[in-house]
Amino acid sequence: MPSSTSSFESFERVIPDLPWRRLALIVTALTFLAAVGWEIRCRAWGYAPTLNDTPDLWAQQRRAVRPDSIVIVGDSRAHFDLDLDELEKGLGSRPIQLALDGSCPYPVFADLVNDESFHGTVIASLVPGMWLAPGGPLLKNSERALERYHKQTWAQRSGHVLGMLLEEHIAFLKKDDLTLPKLLGRIPLPPRDHTEGPPLPPYFGSVDRERRTRMIDACAQPGPLQDRIKNGWPLLFTPPPPPSYIPREAFLKGMGAAIEKRFQDTAAAVKKLRARGGKVVFVRFPFTGKVRELEDAGTPRAGPWTRIINESGAPSIYFTDYPELANFQCPESSHLSAPDSVEFTRRLVPHLKAALAQ
Amino acid sequence: MLFNSLTFIVFFVVVVGAYWALRSWETRKNLLLVASYIFYGAWNPPFALLLFGTTALDFYLGSRIASAVTPRARRGWMIASVTSNLSMLGFFKYGNFLLENFQWLLARAGVAYQPPHLDIFLPIGISFYTFHSLSYTLDVYRGVCAPTKSLRDFTLAVSFFPQLVAGPIVRAADFLPQLVTAPKLRPGQFGWGLLLMTLGMFEKIVLADALLADSADAVFGYGGPLPALDAWGGTLAFAGQIFFDFAGYSTCAIGAALCLGFHLKDNFRFPYAAVGFSDFWRRWHISLSTFLRDFLYIPLGGNRSGPARAAVNLMIVMFIGGLWHGAAWTFVVWGLIHGVFLVIERLVKGAAGEAPWTQTFAIKFLIGLGTFAVVCLAWVFFRAADFATAARLVKAMVGAGAPSDALLTTRELLQVGSVTAGLLLAHWSLRDTSIEAVVGKMPRWLVVALWTLMLSAIILTQGNGHAFIYFQF
Repeated sequence: MPSSTSSFESFERVIPDLPWRRLALIVTALTFLAAVGWEIRCRAWGYAPTLNDTPDLWAQQRRAVRPDSIVIVGDSRAHFDLDLDELEKGLGSRPIQLALDGSCPYPVFADLVNDESFHGTVIASLVPGMWLAPGGPLLKNSERALERYHKQTWAQRSGHVLGMLLEEHIAFLKKDDLTLPKLLGRIPLPPRDHTEGPPLPPYFGSVDRERRTRMIDACAQPGPLQDRIKNGWPLLFTPPPPPSYIPREAFLKGMGAAIEKRFQDTAAAVKKLRARGGKVVFVRFPFTGKVRELEDAGTPRAGPWTRIINESGAPSIYFTDYPELANFQCPESSHLSAPDSVEFTRRLVPHLKAALAQ
Repeated sequence: MLFNSLTFIVFFVVVVGAYWALRSWETRKNLLLVASYIFYGAWNPPFALLLFGTTALDFYLGSRIASAVTPRARRGWMIASVTSNLSMLGFFKYGNFLLENFQWLLARAGVAYQPPHLDIFLPIGISFYTFHSLSYTLDVYRGVCAPTKSLRDFTLAVSFFPQLVAGPIVRAADFLPQLVTAPKLRPGQFGWGLLLMTLGMFEKIVLADALLADSADAVFGYGGPLPALDAWGGTLAFAGQIFFDFAGYSTCAIGAALCLGFHLKDNFRFPYAAVGFSDFWRRWHISLSTFLRDFLYIPLGGNRSGPARAAVNLMIVMFIGGLWHGAAWTFVVWGLIHGVFLVIERLVKGAAGEAPWTQTFAIKFLIGLGTFAVVCLAWVFFRAADFATAARLVKAMVGAGAPSDALLTTRELLQVGSVTAGLLLAHWSLRDTSIEAVVGKMPRWLVVALWTLMLSAIILTQGNGHAFIYFQF
């Protein structure tokens, strides 16, 4: 047997004969300058530093839930329209914001209910079309966040902490808007039939470490950003056609069964949580303009909303029932401006207290 | 810990800084060992114990093999090592797969058996570190490698963080000699290492994740029939994605090791310019193909017992190679497709020989394109979640699919088309040379421009924390 080993002893990688130190310094300087230039350009476009609302940030908040916490679940309306300071002042405890933009909130709610240690309070935004979503990206957004919470590694946690330090200072770090694929997506190209989905809204809210989201001024004021978002909602609120390879009747039957199951699961989950001392209140947040027309036509209050409230037995607050809540205007038809969100929350608190006392 | 993460950047800066600041070689090795276990434990700390257990067992068995007096005893200890390693791999990776197949077989025999579903969490990179560790006892048995007396050195050889979880499969015999004396950093080694890491990250973050992954995911995740264009688009996207993902990881690993003074061999050599399947396997995942050649194909008899036996051996090797990638029959079919084409290639070469007309560039290029097409076809089975999906895609690719709506957008098709064209062009331009030779001849301004472009694109893409595909293997 040889006393030492292998052909590797003689193996050494070739190092190209170049002045690497000098090259590395030049590359570092050029890359830094390019990044600074890009940052200036993005700020000129109206972008400002803010956190990305990632599954990691969501998981961080989910970990903060204690057995008796007040937890907000729901969609982007609960995310934009609720002010944590006002809720803390009114309810005596700082809520944890778990609402997710563009999501079906049910999986998050079910996860809380299935956490046997949790017996706190859930303020749930109920947009019937989203709560009852039987599949697709709305459900996936919630599932992705939950998966990260349940499987997040220490490496991911530390990466998230480091990422926040950068995102709080650099405007171009916008995962939903300014990444290479998103920028390539802005290049106008002739569309192929059936392949282009509705565009997602661009950056219009800032997010802090507690996931409090505030609409930025450029969206709150009339202008091209507000128009772009306002005009985008009708496309997003229009259900996509069934896939062509499944017979329409079979597809609708499958969807109907899944939605029916969601009604039943929701009622059962509410009862399960209340049985161990937890509380749930469903809230319908303001929506106006074209979005209101679409939602009221597609999911009228007398339909799914009423059925969920009746079957679950949970207290509820529908913004149009109260004059002090009914007259808020959503600048882009679906969410409140940052100042209005504070005022709205202040006015909502007494109703929440009354509902939770039931 | 992922290479493409902020955590790794901080980790790497701290480890490299401390490593070169320390004077004692022994202390530096201790630092690397601790760093490697932190790197691995950052996923799931308890599995670091499993990694150490495997390592310690093979360290012990390696010493027993070396000290055994009789060939029978040597062989016994070697078999003990193979059995323990493969049993662990079998339990964690193939437990449920074996149970499901056992249930299927019983059902064919009319026995209704419902096995319990084992809730097994697959330790990340288990296939890689098992082979790292196993290569040691096998090489000690073969007499290629002397047993090391240092458990610390062997533990570091198995767990060295650049190559720990997704290769290259660095054999202890190749790595242990590098732990004998402190490496000296040659001029340019650190800078070249950083450039390789940038290249690897660029391949992973920009090309694989940002430009190709979505198209591949959309096509392979679609439940209905597809037009041929979309089926090919998704398949080419995956062919590019898996190359950039895996080769990107290997390039990062080689670069990171260089920054620490270690030399790892190439794991890829422009495989999509391969002319034939034997050439492909000399260029793709070289560390796995040489592992299987040395420890499976040759012990099976290789091509020493005639063409028929060689063909059987090849099929066995590719069967195992397929199964190594994942516990599913789709992976086996992927391996067997390669096996069949390797056998056919041997038969054709045996009959036609190396006729001069086959050596012209035009013919080589045509054979190369044919090889690439079949490799892509085989990738369908590798990536598809089940045979129904694979069959639907293959049908669509050959134009036999049902009429259907388009799936990929114009932009996605353009991305896939341009990246694939660039990939093939690069591989065919570089197939007979090396990246070092090419960079060495480049004007300095071009090196600076390309390096800056790659770094800027990485920053612009921002990364999305996608795990490397080969982590699951």
